[in-house]
Amino acid sequence: MLSILIWAPILGVVLVCLPQLSTERVRQVALTVATLVLLWTLVLLVQFNPGSAEQQFQESLRWIETLGLTYQLGVDGLSMPLVAINSLLTWIAVYSSDPQINRSRFYYALILLLGSAVAGAFLAQNLLLFFLFYELELIPLYLLIAIWGGSRRGYAATKFLIYTAVSGVLILAAFFGLSLLSGTASFDYEVLRSQTLPLATQLVLLVTLLIGFGIKIPIVPLHTWLPDAHVEAPTQASVLLAGVLLKLGTYGLLRFGLGLFPAAWQVVAPWLALLAVVNVLYGSFVAIAQTDMKKIVAYSSVGHMGYVLLAIAAATPLSLLGSVAQMISHGLISGLLFLLVGVVYAKTGTRDITVLQGLLNPERGLPLIGSLMVVGVMASAGIPGMVGFIAEFIVYRGSFPIFPVQTLLCMVGTGLTAVYFLILINRSFFGRLPDSLARLPRVRWQDRMPSIVVTLLIIALGLQPNWMVRWSEVTTTTLGLTLAATPVNQVIAQQALLSTTIAPAATSEQPVSALSLD
Amino acid sequence: MVSLSRKPSTHPLAPVIERIEAGGALLPDTPDNVTEVVGILKSYGMVLDAYWRNLTYIAEHQFLVLFPFFKYFNGEVTLNKLLRHWWHDRINYEFAEYCMKAMFWHGGGGLDSYLDSAEFQQHAAAAIQAKLRRNPLMQGLNAAFQGFLPEQIRLLSYYSVLGQFWNVMSRMFLDLSDRYDRGEIQSIADVVEHVRQGLVDAAAQPITYAVKIDGQPYDIIPKSAGLTFLADAAVPYVETVFFRSFPFFGTVSYNAQAHQISPDQAQFNYGALFADPLPIGSAGIPPTLLMQDMTHFLPDYLRAIYLKELRQEDDLRVKICLSFQKSMFCVTTAAILGLMPHPLTTADPEQHRVNRAYLEGWMDRLLQSRLVSVQAD
Repeated sequence: MLSILIWAPILGVVLVCLPQLSTERVRQVALTVATLVLLWTLVLLVQFNPGSAEQQFQESLRWIETLGLTYQLGVDGLSMPLVAINSLLTWIAVYSSDPQINRSRFYYALILLLGSAVAGAFLAQNLLLFFLFYELELIPLYLLIAIWGGSRRGYAATKFLIYTAVSGVLILAAFFGLSLLSGTASFDYEVLRSQTLPLATQLVLLVTLLIGFGIKIPIVPLHTWLPDAHVEAPTQASVLLAGVLLKLGTYGLLRFGLGLFPAAWQVVAPWLALLAVVNVLYGSFVAIAQTDMKKIVAYSSVGHMGYVLLAIAAATPLSLLGSVAQMISHGLISGLLFLLVGVVYAKTGTRDITVLQGLLNPERGLPLIGSLMVVGVMASAGIPGMVGFIAEFIVYRGSFPIFPVQTLLCMVGTGLTAVYFLILINRSFFGRLPDSLARLPRVRWQDRMPSIVVTLLIIALGLQPNWMVRWSEVTTTTLGLTLAATPVNQVIAQQALLSTTIAPAATSEQPVSALSLD
Repeated sequence: MVSLSRKPSTHPLAPVIERIEAGGALLPDTPDNVTEVVGILKSYGMVLDAYWRNLTYIAEHQFLVLFPFFKYFNGEVTLNKLLRHWWHDRINYEFAEYCMKAMFWHGGGGLDSYLDSAEFQQHAAAAIQAKLRRNPLMQGLNAAFQGFLPEQIRLLSYYSVLGQFWNVMSRMFLDLSDRYDRGEIQSIADVVEHVRQGLVDAAAQPITYAVKIDGQPYDIIPKSAGLTFLADAAVPYVETVFFRSFPFFGTVSYNAQAHQISPDQAQFNYGALFADPLPIGSAGIPPTLLMQDMTHFLPDYLRAIYLKELRQEDDLRVKICLSFQKSMFCVTTAAILGLMPHPLTTADPEQHRVNRAYLEGWMDRLLQSRLVSVQAD
């Protein structure tokens, strides 16, 4: 069942490459495949058992056994929401693409390949298989930036490739190290999870993994590839990059860092929380200083991924749930914001907020796009009633007992989000539309529809958060309680108890059901 | 020999002055402008026709009705019409009232003076007495607040006067459209001449206002008041609606408490010739109502021109506003020409100098208007 999510897009790649297909047909085929994948994801969601923390819909196929590589797939509460976001944003990327785009055959093939690779990475239960998919997604994204990107696309694409290739190497090194040092010669996730390595060894491997995934998230100061990639990437690539690809980093940390090295995790967690604070504050302050809309959204991504990092570092059942919620929330909100910035750029020819003004003009501006942008930035700034609020609230609520100071500092970032996004809105959308922008092209419904769909989801999940957290609650609770049962954690928890006077029962040991949102 | 009278103007709008002196108009004479102006004046004529009928209905049939809930229904109150009204599928008569109130506020012309006269007080008192004959409650209120009902009648007088003015103008604009369809209007100068001639023809038409109460007619503005179309309706209207108007929210950003609005109404320049077309559609901007009304009556040839542009129907009201401003510059040209101190063709240098000074005076007022923009559009 899960293989369909990987192989249907691959089949789509083959189909769109058929020379018999006209340009219009290529788009139709790509959209059909993306729609089928999305529908299949919905089927899986319906059949998924949220009450189980185990891997579901498992598939296993022997591949290269001598290397320990097996085609082993499964989905649990961590990966199911991310798979859903990936399918949704891939569909949106295809739908929102310009029907007249150059080299459409290649373009749609790359988008589908990207969706397939990301789905594969989320579903892989074999570390080598994960690595293969993780590396596979670099190629289409690199090409999307390098071919359809902006004026500095060559630089941005190369930088992206170098950074993420290094990321891949480090992750592979950590996986190899784990496999070899554990003496299992296996890359099976469940097998490796049951192994126990000395703390020092765990620390070395975890730090290697942290740097690898840290590039992908990205963690400051490994982030410099991201703003360049976002600014130069075509809108659809930016949507996928911010919406799902960054989540590969946090998902990797959650799945492999926390899952495979629970004892070492407790040692590095305070440092990770500190890095989260740096991410949030640095990303926010730099966003305030930007004048390019896309860079503002890109740096906001750096900041908001800091919340995920904080939640994973705290690793309480509630904070882990919050990390998944924040990944979904950020995926939707950043996807929306990049879509909207893309429309603004397509219609006005600029993203410079010192040039743009009065775009909310009801007749000659971009009133609906502007209105959706206001909703998007409100969601990003954590206004109640939208998904951003509930995700950040769970993160803060779950992280505060473990890292109170860091959590409070991250909360400052929420306020800063309002600052930089209000600057963006105020400069670009309010005021009188200048005469230089008074003859903008028509906005088609095709430009509006993807944003409307995502906005509705943002509001729906904000009003009914259970639709978002129910998939992950049991999994994250199990993961959090497993972590709490490790010896190192008990030491850390006791230290935290002495320093914060917060009862353990209210922190990591408290079942998430007691803090349930609904 | 170089004539001093023909010395080029040094005014910033000298090209416009020279064009008018040469028989042109404020608006450049291009085929597109002719089509736009005639087309928009046709739809404006249709809208004005509805406006004047309603203004006249209110003045005559809603006389001293303190709660005129159905004043926009012209006496035909049906459920179907009520539903359409609530659904907003209707003519926005509110715009006509905005213009009427602007005229009432700014005053000007003989009407303003007449409404402060003893003669008016006398006529108003007679009508009030007749209207309240069988209404002791209102009689008591009238005795307590003696200035209220006469003020209401002043307001109703403006309803009537504007109705009469627009009655003439709507026929004039529809006639212009018919002449265009017959091929008789081919230039902006033809448009201006048509309007000028229409104003001249109606100039001396008397402005009167009377109401019937219990079948008995009561004069409010009798013919003996000597009010005429051009001096007492057209000129105050142009001054009020084209030039001064109100600082509506949204059309300009202002802070009245910081004295950003001049206390001198003569300094107001928020009228149709100054309105910024781009904010149209924002909440609370009355000109939007007029543009919205005109969308229903656009001739096909004008709609076809609009649809050729980038935004097609999306910014229809902005396009209508731009065309409307062009047409109003033609009407203003007609008013300027109609009030010229000396004929344009005069050979007398002194008369020419006076004409030049007169035109430069107008241009001073139009410096901040959209006149410069319509030269390029």
